Amino acid sequence: MTAAARSRSARRARWVATGLTAPSWLLLLALFAIPIGIGIWLSFRNEALNSFAEPRFVGLDNYQRMVTEPTSGELIDAAVVTVIIMGLGLAVQLPIGVGLAVLLNRQLKFSRWYRSALLIPMLLTPVAVGLMWRFMLDTDTGVINWLLERVGLFGPDWLGSRWGARVAVVLVDSWQSIPFVMLLILAGLAGIPDGPDEAARVDGASSLQVFRRITLPQLKPVLYVVLMIRVIDTFKLFDTIFILTRGGPGTATQTLAMYNYSLGFVLLKTSQAAALGTVLAIITLPVYFLWQRASRAVEA
Amino acid sequence: MAHVLLGFATLTALFPVFWTVTTSIKTREDSFSDPPKIVNFEPTAKNYRSLLGKQEFTDVLWNTVIVTVCSTILCVTIGGLASYALARNRLFPGRRPLEAGLVFVRAMPGIVIIVPLYRLIADLGLYDSKPTMIVIYTAVNLPFAIWLMKSFFEQIPIELEECAGVDGASRWTTIRRVVLPLASPGLAATGIFISLLTWNEFIIPALLGGNNTKTLPVYISGFVANRSFDWGPLAAASSLAIVPIVILTVAIQRRLVSGLSSGAVKG
Repeated sequence: MTAAARSRSARRARWVATGLTAPSWLLLLALFAIPIGIGIWLSFRNEALNSFAEPRFVGLDNYQRMVTEPTSGELIDAAVVTVIIMGLGLAVQLPIGVGLAVLLNRQLKFSRWYRSALLIPMLLTPVAVGLMWRFMLDTDTGVINWLLERVGLFGPDWLGSRWGARVAVVLVDSWQSIPFVMLLILAGLAGIPDGPDEAARVDGASSLQVFRRITLPQLKPVLYVVLMIRVIDTFKLFDTIFILTRGGPGTATQTLAMYNYSLGFVLLKTSQAAALGTVLAIITLPVYFLWQRASRAVEA
Repeated sequence: MAHVLLGFATLTALFPVFWTVTTSIKTREDSFSDPPKIVNFEPTAKNYRSLLGKQEFTDVLWNTVIVTVCSTILCVTIGGLASYALARNRLFPGRRPLEAGLVFVRAMPGIVIIVPLYRLIADLGLYDSKPTMIVIYTAVNLPFAIWLMKSFFEQIPIELEECAGVDGASRWTTIRRVVLPLASPGLAATGIFISLLTWNEFIIPALLGGNNTKTLPVYISGFVANRSFDWGPLAAASSLAIVPIVILTVAIQRRLVSGLSSGAVKG
């Protein structure tokens, strides 16, 4: 094969590859690019399903509204709730996920059984388990408070109080996401050579020292990936909150995604919801660059 | 010590599932008794009978199955083509934007596109139709499907394909005879994974669907709306939703672990 023919066939192979991605492109354009475009268009109008006002362009009104009272207060409130739930969630999920992965990685007896069982919550229907948790968390008749009472603790009014509801949301979300954290960390641990930590052990280092000084630094790239995925997924979290609290009591668990839902589908303010949606989409834009950094870190 | 911690974690992981299933076979009195009845109750099939006796519920179950199966097949096919291209060709036109688009779509909260999408499908007269829902599910799960399948294709040594090519096999024959058989366990695991995501999907059918496209999670969430909280039938419906998932998760866990891990570790 001549050089020219080879480069021709390589070029052809590249266009074939592009062709294979065409159906995916079509779906992404039809169901993401076009709706986002419509969303931006709507965000410059004053459409609301509960108003008889003539729909027209209002320029940046909907965006301006976000920075003036009372909307700005609601928005800040939702952002704070999002950060609280994210912070609490990460503080619970990462240590427990890492801890379980480290324990499983020791290859004890029954490790595989534990792993199978521990993975189960990950893929269960959030709506179904959310409702069951709601049943179990019931202040008076729920099994959780009954169990807490057995061990001498007084269970809070979980879904009726501000912090009770927040903790409940974090609890249920963590119950479903810890398996995922555990799984990825376990994969990270599998890639770490045993040599250095055995050497340290021989030199008399305790398990905790080995973990902190040797294992943890090597897990950093995987931890970065896990952290990013968890931040993204908590930002998107919807089903669990919707089922447990609908953002309540009051606005105690109303995250940005829930607030956007309530603007669009409860208050029926289509254009305001579209404006907030556009802002949320812009917030997610930098994720790709973080993602690339993460995958480079893992490869290095 | 390690066994105590792992045992406790396992108990916590499984207890809600256990509680759902047992509540579904308890009478109303037993499910609210104080102290709670853990195992000392008379099992009853009443909740399942009342649920399965309803035309509405069997319709919902059927809807969920159809929509899940169709969209999974579509997603694995479309995603499979793209992920094969991504796994095998480093520099094709449009690769970068496609990767960026997939990550962006994966990261964005669903509600962001649902508000305008609601408007779009209503204007086009596509509201509450199964094909519409199938296409939307497919698009939403596509990034995950591509991410997983790409890692499965990458696990197949490219040398195998080159050898087949040298031996005179056409591209198509190579794919059919070499790539697909080696990739099929991974593709099957992806299919199962995507079907679980579709089966569980809530926000899309709840906000963009109506009675024709009502799925199991939407039906289950309806128990909250009518305040009475009929926990028995609710637990029965939830059990029907989650027990198949428990079985499938255990069945495919080895593939799932390898696919998710290498996907995540390689980005």
